[in-house]
Amino acid sequence: MMTPAENTVILTRDLRKDYELGAETVRALQGVDIQIDKNEFVAIMGPSGSGKSTLLNLIGCLDTPSAGEYWLGGQEVSKLDDNELAQIRNSRIGFVFQTFNLLPRTTALHNVELPLIYAGLSAKERHARATQTLEAVGLGGRIKHQPNELSGGERQRVAIARALVNQPSLLLADEPTGNLDSHTSAEIMEILVNLHRQGETILLVTHERDIAAYAKRLITLRDGKVERDELHAAGVS
Amino acid sequence: MNVLDAIVLALRQVWAQKLKSFFTLLGVIVGVTFLISVNAVVEGMNRYVQEDFAGSIFGINTITVQRVYSRRGGREDARTRRREARNPDITLDDAQVLRENVPDIWYMAYSSDRFMPEVSSGQNTRKNVRLIGVTDEYLALQGWDVVEGRGLTRIDDTRSIRVAVIGDAIAKKLFPEDSPIGHDIRLGPFRYRIVGVLKRQGGLIGNIRDASVVLPFGAYQADFARQRNVVEDLQIKFRTSEAMVAGEATTEELLRARHRLRPGEENDFSIETASQILNAWNTVKNVLLAAGPGLVAVALVVGGIVIMNIMLMSVLERTREIGVRKALGARRIDITRQFLAESATLSSLGAAIGVVIGMALAKLVDVVTPLPASVPVWSIIVGVALGLLVGLVFGVYPAIRASRLDPIVALRYE
Repeated sequence: MMTPAENTVILTRDLRKDYELGAETVRALQGVDIQIDKNEFVAIMGPSGSGKSTLLNLIGCLDTPSAGEYWLGGQEVSKLDDNELAQIRNSRIGFVFQTFNLLPRTTALHNVELPLIYAGLSAKERHARATQTLEAVGLGGRIKHQPNELSGGERQRVAIARALVNQPSLLLADEPTGNLDSHTSAEIMEILVNLHRQGETILLVTHERDIAAYAKRLITLRDGKVERDELHAAGVS
Repeated sequence: MNVLDAIVLALRQVWAQKLKSFFTLLGVIVGVTFLISVNAVVEGMNRYVQEDFAGSIFGINTITVQRVYSRRGGREDARTRRREARNPDITLDDAQVLRENVPDIWYMAYSSDRFMPEVSSGQNTRKNVRLIGVTDEYLALQGWDVVEGRGLTRIDDTRSIRVAVIGDAIAKKLFPEDSPIGHDIRLGPFRYRIVGVLKRQGGLIGNIRDASVVLPFGAYQADFARQRNVVEDLQIKFRTSEAMVAGEATTEELLRARHRLRPGEENDFSIETASQILNAWNTVKNVLLAAGPGLVAVALVVGGIVIMNIMLMSVLERTREIGVRKALGARRIDITRQFLAESATLSSLGAAIGVVIGMALAKLVDVVTPLPASVPVWSIIVGVALGLLVGLVFGVYPAIRASRLDPIVALRYE
């Protein structure tokens, strides 16, 4: 068994996931080998049922594989327990969801502070870092607003700030523009592109070709396997 | 997440749903309110009975001899009543023997009383008065102070002089303008001259004293008594409780001997002391204090179950939030702590509201009724602690359920 190279963020070897669905066993992932290096911007596409979500859950440490290996930043995480996975999610992964998943009746600031609370930072430090991150995504003037007082684009920017606030080694975006109009989608994608330029590693799951086009590399899944893994000529430079 | 963060979060949650929180807390509020107010009233009653009530009816270190038990706290069955109906009267001769033979008497007095439909000064009339004939030491023994004029003397008694000392309420009613001293009052066909006015007592017991007309025993017996030579109520006061115990024993022996009772036969008279009424009160108090915790417990358990239900609903409603928190790095213990803190904060808040309402009720009882009510500090502490405990105990199950949610399922929950 080989330890991955130092600048490898994600490495999976023969990653498999089976579900029991009644009497049937669903083979959601049937041996996936992926390597993603630092500062890559990768899009994953595939029809529904291809195993996109399952792969995302495994990579996001929300779930553990049935078989195979998953190395995240040089650490084998496929055998960790609940609490260790929670800690990995907290410190190394930033999630951006399609439905934003901000806490309602809670200010943008507090939403962004959440990961820092679980990281055990002091209130003062939390406040400073959350404010700073919100400013970085252009929401410095809205930190006291609650989600229902923000537009869709602004909500997603809050979510991005929340994903970034713990300085994770990987940003996982699951259909981040799925609930946005095309103009706002472009804005959000610009933010991701900028983050990539600043050195972030980004994994984007989408079913829209023009959104995937923002990434530099495209992995296509089909029937629980990698169908294609190609560098993207059309990628935004 | 530390405990303080969890509590702040909990308070925010409670505040966001004020009305729902209030209804959730009703059970706990009722339980703690009950605990605080009942304890306050019992405590107040306790003090009242020990300091005022027993003292003013029976007096400290005082024995009261009567033909039958009149102020018993417990139940009386028909058989006891039939037996007591055959009891002989206490006579003046009995009193004489007791005065000569009971050791260490401080004061001794006897009295008879009756209801009088009215008393009049000529101009003014007061209805419903208590007419009471007493011997000279009666006022001193009872601790009834005379604020104007004089009390009654032995000479008033032995010569059956028609003089009277009147209660405050009667003095005010009959002589609203000037001093009653020296004026006559009419009691039925008789005229009595007022020589003194009693100090106002007020309160529950005072209504009786303030509406009394006190006469020398001799004159009372001549003009109003139903039977001659009969003493309805005989009291002996001692300086110490030891002397009282010895005096009570001697009194019992003397009366048994005079009534020719055989050993083993029951007394055909009653001797009561303040300690007996205290015993009766203690019985009542113990019933209250024994029933109290049961009722409090029922209210708190009901309150706890309501809290548990609401928390389970809250967990369901906030499934997605739990998923998000887990995705962002919340461990099981963080989620457990969050929901436990929420239920504990919620129920402690309920307990605090209960304490406030309970104290307000106690204050109301104190002001509106003559009963003093005081909230003992321990009951506040117990109340809040019970509230906290209920929240913790009934919060465990929902909190654990929340912590066990699968983040993937929770994030997808609609």
